[in-house]
Amino acid sequence: MQAVILAAGEGTRMRPLTYTKPKVMLPVANKPILEHLIIELKKAGIDNLILVVGYRSETIRGYFSDGSRWGVKIKYIEQRRQLGTADALKSATHLINSDFIMLNGDNIVSAEDIAKIASSKRALGVYSVPKPQDFGVVVVEDGKVKRIIEKPSQPPTNTINAGVYKFDTAVLDYLEKTGVSERGEYEVTDTIQLAISDGIVFEAVELNRWIDVGYPWDLLRANEALLKDVKPEIKGEVEDGAVIKGNVFIDEGSVVMSGSYIIGPVVIGRNCRIGPCCFIRPFTSIGDNCHIGAFVEVKNSIVMSNTNLPHLNYVGDSVIGEGCNFGAGTKVANLRLDEREIKVPVKGKIVSTGRKKFGAVVGDGVKTGINVSINVGAMVGNDVFIAPGKVVGGTVEPGTFLR
Amino acid sequence: MCGIVGYVGFRNADEVAISALRRLEYRGYDSWGVAIAKDGEIVVKKNVGAIGDIKDFSLGGGKIGLGHTRWATHGKPSEINAHPHLDCKGRIAVVHNGIISNFRSLRERLENEGHTFRSETDTEVIPHLIESWVERGEDFADAVMKTAEELQGSYAFVAMKADDARLVAVRYKSPLVLGVGDGEFFLASDIPAMLEYTNRVVYLDDGESVIVSKDGYRILKNGVEVEKGIEIVPWSIEDAEKGGYEHFMLKEIHENPRVVEDTLLEYLGEDIEIDSRIFAGISDILFVACGTSFHACLIGKYLIEELAGIPVRVEYASEFNYSNPPLSRTLVVGITQSGETADTLEAMRKAKKLGMRVLAITNVLGSTATRLADHVIYTRAGPEIGVAATKTFIAQLTVLYLIAAKISNLPPKEIEELLNELRSIPQKIRQILDMEDEISSISETFAGYENMMYVGRGIGYPIALEGALKLKEISYIHAEGYPAGELKHGPFALLGEKTPVVACIVRDKTYDSMLGNIKEIKARESPVIAVANEEDDEIEKFVDYTIRVPSTNPILTPLTYSVALQLFAYYVARLRGCEIDKPRNLAKSVTVE
Repeated sequence: MQAVILAAGEGTRMRPLTYTKPKVMLPVANKPILEHLIIELKKAGIDNLILVVGYRSETIRGYFSDGSRWGVKIKYIEQRRQLGTADALKSATHLINSDFIMLNGDNIVSAEDIAKIASSKRALGVYSVPKPQDFGVVVVEDGKVKRIIEKPSQPPTNTINAGVYKFDTAVLDYLEKTGVSERGEYEVTDTIQLAISDGIVFEAVELNRWIDVGYPWDLLRANEALLKDVKPEIKGEVEDGAVIKGNVFIDEGSVVMSGSYIIGPVVIGRNCRIGPCCFIRPFTSIGDNCHIGAFVEVKNSIVMSNTNLPHLNYVGDSVIGEGCNFGAGTKVANLRLDEREIKVPVKGKIVSTGRKKFGAVVGDGVKTGINVSINVGAMVGNDVFIAPGKVVGGTVEPGTFLR
Repeated sequence: MCGIVGYVGFRNADEVAISALRRLEYRGYDSWGVAIAKDGEIVVKKNVGAIGDIKDFSLGGGKIGLGHTRWATHGKPSEINAHPHLDCKGRIAVVHNGIISNFRSLRERLENEGHTFRSETDTEVIPHLIESWVERGEDFADAVMKTAEELQGSYAFVAMKADDARLVAVRYKSPLVLGVGDGEFFLASDIPAMLEYTNRVVYLDDGESVIVSKDGYRILKNGVEVEKGIEIVPWSIEDAEKGGYEHFMLKEIHENPRVVEDTLLEYLGEDIEIDSRIFAGISDILFVACGTSFHACLIGKYLIEELAGIPVRVEYASEFNYSNPPLSRTLVVGITQSGETADTLEAMRKAKKLGMRVLAITNVLGSTATRLADHVIYTRAGPEIGVAATKTFIAQLTVLYLIAAKISNLPPKEIEELLNELRSIPQKIRQILDMEDEISSISETFAGYENMMYVGRGIGYPIALEGALKLKEISYIHAEGYPAGELKHGPFALLGEKTPVVACIVRDKTYDSMLGNIKEIKARESPVIAVANEEDDEIEKFVDYTIRVPSTNPILTPLTYSVALQLFAYYVARLRGCEIDKPRNLAKSVTVE
């Protein structure tokens, strides 16, 4: 069966991380979100994939290529302007020749759920959330979709549209008729609504697992969820005197030096130098070619590839991009003194993270001098340089030299 | 100068061709045409005028097609002369940019062989030549290659055949880019044409041909397949659009500060990051350029001679091609925004042939100039759509300042001061842009005149030349730039109340003489606008209007004064209701001599 995966958007709410790569390429548990999805699709027996790409598509094409490494066949569609989900699907219609499923490249769905949806003739994946007003709310009757209401102020149910669809080619006819929605996009939910009003039936399939990431701190939540399933394995080397507790995965070429103390779940990529004498705490993902040096503590964080936290650093509840280097003594604060919820600026608006503990989001290629202090909720753009001893907070635009 | 496009894939080729051609209109817009192949037939539609005027265009689909927007060189703009051109039977269609210099002899031969020509164009020989090779049993692609061998001149052309699923294109001395999509491919003279669909491109080189079908492409050179890398174009579609301004020109004037910043960011770190080997061991510098780039060269001459003491000559590229200049260890610098200006390219080729080291300063990556030159310095201006050069001129100047400072023999401290002031230029240009209303209100007084004179001394003189060029090309007011001291030797006869004068007065050693000239001009009753330093508090006594520009080191005034004069020309032209982005008879990049 074919699957159409929407992966064209930047994910502007994910800035500064998405200045350098599209949202679907952000790593959780050491793999891009999209890779997790592709692995689940393959497990569900779906190996004929159409990726609709756009923003920085070269990163996706470069990583997945023709998909053979994952045992799937990938075809790409370039969507240079992102005009909505229905428009994205329309751009792929010339490659669709049978029933197919459609998914968002920035959600992770399990193989079991995918298989369940795929076995239906026409279906829509639904999921229950506590705060449905930010999503499309689905009204279900006798297991059939009756209506989809986009972001209602007073949601009638807690059931939301998970953005996983099973379509037959008959649905494609309705794409042409789909008009522009209130928020100015061509939306596939409108297409479905048109089909339903013509008497076409969509089954509502309840998903067991649905991981959605909207903001950078959602990556930490997703990372936590995926690390719970990590299978412990040590492919690299662990020196005598290092302590490994819980489920820890250490990939080829990595060395954990004496005196290091790691409490799983933790994943460590290839060719990392860990320690001596560092402390890595649960729910931490460390990418490839990283250096976590002496007297460094990392906790509940994503540290992307080629990044060094070499000496006397603390990083907690944070996302650190690729190719960063923290000077000795650079630390991230992750708790307000008044212990209130941490709020951060996103696209010029203050957004509540819903977390009391949240450190910083640091884009790719950031270099800090010694003893830099990064305050809670700081959003540091890519390729920022920070001079020694600075205290950094709020939003820092990409390419800035803070001195 | 023309724009060509080709498409093969899964979309409707007619729609793609039209949308692509719209983006190439800066290359010419006196007529256009589209052809598609469908059900074994070729369907053609041609029109006189700009594509912008067309609505609901359709040839009924077809998944392979080509298109052309024309700026006449051989044969007047007419439907018959518009491309695509066909062979006798209407089975082969060709669009072409460039000039076939041996077309007369080819046409004569083909006519003797019984071919019937319909147009006056040089292009039409191409489909007939292809036809004759196909009739001799050649495969379509081979027929195109054999045809290219018979052509002389400069060309990029795309050919298609009614019953063939391939496009075949050849490039020789005219630009051609292949756009790589997913199950679809694009050919075009320039990248904006395909940016709507893909940002993955392959730059074709001279002598290369490409055979494209919906399943893939092969690039050949001298019959041998060559592997070429795909490059990612970083421009967004919006980069090539107006971005809220009424005209591209106004948008591009407003991009001046950013352009200076980007260029400085690129080349000015702790040190000036320009390869010093470019200038190693040279005895002198020769600039070759056309139009606005020529004026940039004149300023470059002033800067380099002032700061570095190296002798500099500046030649119009079109004139250099007929001269036999004495050269020694000369660095020849070709400045061309598009990198495709035919005369400048020819001058660079000539310099190469004479064994000179050649540097290209251009705005377009992968353009012909970049491949011709030994060294390239890019101006970081982004695509410029307005035919009148604005931001690219300022970017060229910025590069020239950096070059002059790089090879300067002044004490490091003085250079550092100059560079620091250069860093403050974007802010000063922003202040000028904030004076837009003021400049616009001055322009109201002058929009009604038919003649204007721009004068300056020293570095003010090339500023005057460029100011006059801007005004004449977009407002159609006859404007002349002149060295102020030369007025007495003739042009004085033209002065009077109907001929306003723009005086570019710089606070340097020329100041007092300029003031004297202004008094003389006023005595002939010409209204005078002065472009002056904001600290100049006496100038107002002598002139009718003053455009005050933030003060800088006098040597940097071209960067500020020129922006003020760009705005002045823009507002005059707007009041006169001119087609600012597409002035009559002009094209953005002049790819014919």
